[in-house]
Amino acid sequence: MILTLFCWVALIAFIGFSVKKFMYYSNMPQHGRQDLYPIPLESDEKFKYGGSYMEEDNWHAKERHHNLKRELIDMFEEMLFIKKLFIHQNKFWWLSYSLHLGMYAAIAWSVLLVLGAFIPAGNIIATIVYLLTTVAGLVAGVLITIGGIGLLCKRLFVKEYKIYTTPQEIFNLVALTSVGLTGLLTWYTTGMSFEYGYNMVRAMFTFSPMAEVFGGAVPTMLVVHILLLGFISFYIPLSKMSHYVGKFFTFHKVIWDNEPNMPGSKVEQNILNAANKPKDPNALKWAAPHWNEAPAPAANEEK
Amino acid sequence: MIKGKDLRPRDLGIMGGQLTELTVADLKPLPAPFDKPEMEPGFKAPKDSWNEKFNSDLDGFIAIDTFERPKTKEEEDELVQKFLRGVEKMLSLDTNAGILQALNLSMEYCAKCNTCSNACHIFEASNGNEMYRPTYRAEVLRMIVKKYFDKNGKLIPGGKNDIVVKFIGGDIDLNWQTVARLGELSYRCNLCRRCAQTCPLALDNGLIAREIRKIFSQEMGYAPIPLHEKGTQLQLKTGSSTGMSKVPFLDTVEFLDEDATDLFGEGVTEYKTPMDVEGADILLIHNAGEFNAWPENPMAFTMLFQEAGLSWTLSSEICGYDNVNYGLWYDDAQCKKVAMKQNEVAKKLGVKRIMIAECGHAHKAAAIAADRYYPGSDRVPVQSFLPLMRDLVLNGTFALDPNRNDFPVVLHDPCNYVRQMGIVKPQRDILKAIMKPGHYGNMGLPYYEMKEHGVNNYCCGGGSGFAIMNSMSFPAWRDNVAHRKKLSQILEAFGPELMENTDVPKYICAPCSNCKGAMRDIIEHYELERFNVHYGGLVELIVNAMTKYSTPFMEFLRDE
Repeated sequence: MILTLFCWVALIAFIGFSVKKFMYYSNMPQHGRQDLYPIPLESDEKFKYGGSYMEEDNWHAKERHHNLKRELIDMFEEMLFIKKLFIHQNKFWWLSYSLHLGMYAAIAWSVLLVLGAFIPAGNIIATIVYLLTTVAGLVAGVLITIGGIGLLCKRLFVKEYKIYTTPQEIFNLVALTSVGLTGLLTWYTTGMSFEYGYNMVRAMFTFSPMAEVFGGAVPTMLVVHILLLGFISFYIPLSKMSHYVGKFFTFHKVIWDNEPNMPGSKVEQNILNAANKPKDPNALKWAAPHWNEAPAPAANEEK
Repeated sequence: MIKGKDLRPRDLGIMGGQLTELTVADLKPLPAPFDKPEMEPGFKAPKDSWNEKFNSDLDGFIAIDTFERPKTKEEEDELVQKFLRGVEKMLSLDTNAGILQALNLSMEYCAKCNTCSNACHIFEASNGNEMYRPTYRAEVLRMIVKKYFDKNGKLIPGGKNDIVVKFIGGDIDLNWQTVARLGELSYRCNLCRRCAQTCPLALDNGLIAREIRKIFSQEMGYAPIPLHEKGTQLQLKTGSSTGMSKVPFLDTVEFLDEDATDLFGEGVTEYKTPMDVEGADILLIHNAGEFNAWPENPMAFTMLFQEAGLSWTLSSEICGYDNVNYGLWYDDAQCKKVAMKQNEVAKKLGVKRIMIAECGHAHKAAAIAADRYYPGSDRVPVQSFLPLMRDLVLNGTFALDPNRNDFPVVLHDPCNYVRQMGIVKPQRDILKAIMKPGHYGNMGLPYYEMKEHGVNNYCCGGGSGFAIMNSMSFPAWRDNVAHRKKLSQILEAFGPELMENTDVPKYICAPCSNCKGAMRDIIEHYELERFNVHYGGLVELIVNAMTKYSTPFMEFLRDE
C-alpha cells in the first residue's frame, strides 16, 4: 500500500507545487512593458515581419484587434516543438527536443494507461489503446534516455556548456535520464510489456496495495522506477525544470504583453490599485542621493 | 591574465590586476576591404594614470568613470556591503516591483543552452571571449544571489557556505573585485535584447545587465558621467542633456529656420518652426543633440511639417525640447523624472499627442518605459514620427522625384523602435517611394537591406549610452568591439566593389540620434571617408527627393 500511496502523493505534489509556482508568478505586480517583436497578438500580416499597432498614425485613437488565433498557434508551436531553439540553435535542438518529446510521450503514455486499465479487453478500441500505449511508452523511454545522456555529455565535456553548469544541473539530467532508463529496463524485465503500467494504474485507482494487484511481489526494477518517478514528480516543480510554468509568463506576461495604458483599461486599473495600496513606512528604499531628491531647480528661465 | 576563452564565471573575483586582455588579433576578422591587417587602426593604449585611479581590472577599459579604486580594506568591505544591499533591493517588491516578475523569471529559468550567445554581436565580435557571453554576467549575479540571499530575497549576512549552496551553483568569492568587475561588465552590453528575442524561454540577459547598472546607480551612486551627471541630471537642470537651455535653444531654432529659408525657400517660402503653440495637434520632440551635431535633421522636419500643413509645435519648456531619456539605460528614478516632465510639458500645452522624432531610445523611453509609470488618463499619447511621415509620403502630400536619390543607401534599424516597438515597415515604405528604382539596392529594393534586418537587426554598437560615453579608454573598446558587427554588416551590404568605388557616395540611413553617433564614430575610427561613406537620418532623404527645391538637401551632393 505504501507504493500506491507514494504514487498518489507524488502526483498530487507535482500538480500542487506546479499550481503554487503558477500562483506565485500570477500574483506578482504588473511590471513595466518589455515588448519584444514579433508579437503574435498582432495581425497575421504584421506578425510576419514583426510589426505592431504602433506602426499606425494616431494608433491610440484606433481600435485594436488581438490576434488570439495566432497567439495560440505560436504558443503551441513553441510548447510542442521548441521552435525558437530549432531556429536559432538547431544542433542543440535535437538533443533537447528528444528529451522534451520523450516527456510529452510519457504524459501521453500515462493518459493511455488510465484508459487502457479500465477498457475491457477484446475490442478494437482496447487493441488500439494497447498499441498506442506501447508506442508512447517506448518512445518516452528511448527519447528521454537518448536526450538525457546526450545533454549530460554536452554539459560534462563541451567547454562552453561545462563552465556554466552547476552540480544541480548535472543532477537534474541524471535524475531525468534514470527515470527513462529504468522505465525501459522495467519494460524489458517484465516481459517486454507495459502490463506493469496498467497494474500501477489499477492499484492507484482502486487504492489497492501494488503487491495485491501484481499478484505477489512487485518487480524490483519497477520499485526503483516508481521511486525515481515519484521523486522527480516532487522535485521538478521545485526546481528550474518547472520552466513549463515560467515559460507561460515569460512569453505572455513579459515579451508579448504590449497592452497600452489607455484610460479606463485594465492596465490603468492595475496602476491605480498599486498606487492606492497603503505605504509601509519600513519598506526598503534605494540609497543613492538622487533617488529621493526632487529634480534640481530649472535653469531654463534665463533671459 | 586569463585568456578570454578560458574564463569561468567565478574568475571574476580573482584578485590582482586586469583579468583578461583584448587585441585586434583576438577579434573576429572584418570583411573586405578591412581584411588586410594594416587596414585596422586597432586599440589606443590607455594611460597608466587612468588605471591607477579608476578600475580597469576587467578587460583594461573603463566605462564607469566615477568609480575609483577603494584605498583601504574598510572601503573594499563597504563596497561589497553596499552592493549586497543593492541586490537585496533589486529582489524586493518594495523597491523593484516595476520589473520583478520579469527579472525573477530570467534569474530562475536559464537553461544555459547558449542560444543567446549566438545572437550577441559583442560576443561574436570578440570571437567568443567568455566574458562577453550574455550569460556570463547573469550567471555571476545568480551565483551571488544563491550564496547571499534566502529564497525570499533576504540578505544572509556572510552568505551561505555549505554543501547545498555549492550544489546549487553558489560557489563564488564575493570581494570588491567581483563587484567592481561586474559593474563594469554591465557596460559591455548594448541592452539591445537581441539575445532575449532568440531565447527559447524568452529570458532577458539585457534586463539583467540593466539591473546591475541600476544597483550601481540607485544604491551605490556610481554611473558613467555622460549618462548621469552630464546626462539626466543636466537635462533636469537645464532642459537638455546637451546643456542647452531655453534661450540658446530658441536662438538655434531661429537660426535653422533662417538657414532653411535662405537655402531652400527660393524667395517664396519662409520656414518658421512653431514654438509653444497651445492646443496644437502634435508636440514634436527632437533629440536636442541633433541641433548641435546634425542640424539638417530638425531643419528637414520643419520643412516637411510646414509643407504638409500640420498643426504642430515644438516646446521651449524644460525637457520639452529634448526627447532623450538616458535613465532608460541605468536608473529608474531618472527615467521616470524625465518622462514625467515631458508629459507635463505636453499637458500644459494641451497638445493631442507627443511625437518622437528620429531618436530610438527616446521612442522606447517615452512610449514603452513610461507607459505604465502613471494612470493612462494622465498620459498624453506618444507616437513615433514614422507612421505619419509614411502616410504623408504615400498620400502624395509632397511632390517627390526618386531620381534625385540616385546613390546607394543602406538602412540601419534602431533596436529601440524596431525590435522593441515593432515599427518596421513605415521606414521601408518611405524608402521604396523616395529612392531611385533599378539602380542601386539589393533584394529587389531601391536601397540596401543588411543581411540581418528588421526585428532581427544588430545594434549599431552605440546603444545603451555607448555612443555618448567617451571617457578615458572606453571609446577604444566600443569602436573595436561593439561597433564591429555593424561595420561588417555595412561593408557586406554595399559589397567590396561598391565600397572601393570612391566616386560613388554611399549613405548609411540611421534614423536615430544615438545610432548616428555610432555611425559617426565608425566612420571616424575606420576612416570610411576615404571610401566616400556618409551617414544621416531618413527625413533628409525625403527632402532631398522633393521637386520643390532646386538645391540638393544632402550636402555631399551639393559639394559635387
